[in-house]
Amino acid sequence: MKAKGTIPILRVGDILLVTVQTDLHDAVAEAFQEDLLAEIERTGAAGLLIDLTGLDIVDSYVARVLADTAKMARLMGTETVIVGIRPEVAATLVRMGYTMSGVRTALNVDEGLAMLPSRR
Amino acid sequence: MPTTDFMQRLDLDERELASRRAFFEITDEDLERLARLRPLADRHSDQVVEALYQLILGHAESRAFFTDESAVRHVKKMQHEYFVGLFQGRLDLAYVENRLRVGAAHERIGLAPKWYIGAYGRYLRLIFDRMFAELGAETGAAVKSITKLVMFDMSIAIDTYIAANLDTVARHQAAIRELSTPVIRVYSRVLLLPLVGTVDSHRAEQIMETLLLRVVEEQARAIIVDIAGVPLVDTMVADHLLKTTEAVRLLGAETILTGISAQIARTIVQLGVDISTMHTRSRLADGIELALALCGRTIGARPA
Repeated sequence: MKAKGTIPILRVGDILLVTVQTDLHDAVAEAFQEDLLAEIERTGAAGLLIDLTGLDIVDSYVARVLADTAKMARLMGTETVIVGIRPEVAATLVRMGYTMSGVRTALNVDEGLAMLPSRR
Repeated sequence: MPTTDFMQRLDLDERELASRRAFFEITDEDLERLARLRPLADRHSDQVVEALYQLILGHAESRAFFTDESAVRHVKKMQHEYFVGLFQGRLDLAYVENRLRVGAAHERIGLAPKWYIGAYGRYLRLIFDRMFAELGAETGAAVKSITKLVMFDMSIAIDTYIAANLDTVARHQAAIRELSTPVIRVYSRVLLLPLVGTVDSHRAEQIMETLLLRVVEEQARAIIVDIAGVPLVDTMVADHLLKTTEAVRLLGAETILTGISAQIARTIVQLGVDISTMHTRSRLADGIELALALCGRTIGARPA
């Protein structure tokens, strides 16, 4: 795996697993999206799981990048699940009227993985 | 609340102390004069305290605050210290902290300021009587000095009384808020939030926050929100419910709205609110069944 950004993308079987630990500033978020899509193209992964447990703040820009990434991944045949959104983050996003509709969510990594398809 | 916290609550630092001192016009001269009166105070302290408690114990309502003889002995001892404290010739933060206790203690036992102020009136008269009798030419100045310091003490006590009272009110409000959003775990990973009473924006916000925290804590899959006890569901309430549902979905759980009466169903549709994104059921029992289904469980009859 070769990533330009700072967020490591792990491959577990047919799934790409990303745990976001650092705040996604605008530039980081864009590099992150680019890396992910490149990795999907390279591996043809069936599923993508993004874990946000480590994020205290998700602004509307980052939320949009994440939702867009999920849509782009779907175009490439990869299902996305976002897991571990914190209560305060969810409350803030909803207050801003940003609900990431169309993006699948799960409480934790286990459940997220169960929602993803596997080609093997 | 410890007195140090009250010092902070009332912003009682050196600056505030200096400002109060200036406004009450308490000069170093006043304090020195009071210090010189210390022997007189020591001589009369017993009598003054006794006479003060004649007043307090002579009224059924104020007497009710003292349960027994030992309580009276205790407060009389405190009163001695207080009285002598007026004549120690110093007015610093330690003095203020000591005076804070008076208001805090009164608030704690529910003694209204009228008793405190009334008793202080007798107190002053008792002190003045002795000053007039013994001091001669110096009396006028002494009366002025003692009045300044006593007024200062009263300002501290009343401020503390009010601050303590506000704290009590805030505590009660917190308790009411907590009671107004009881989140009940009805089954592993199934939560129930029975809403009773009016839902305003403030409460709706708080419902959302409490609920989201609990969802993560319990790793809940399904949350049943029962609105059978909500008298009025208008566009605002519906909007709040939708927001909560969306936030819950972001966490990876689902919301089921139950307790929808015919009246509420009619109102929601007539208002043109679209809640088709929510699972809805009329009865709580159906909601519980659906919630269990979301967790991959069913309620079944026991085999005969």
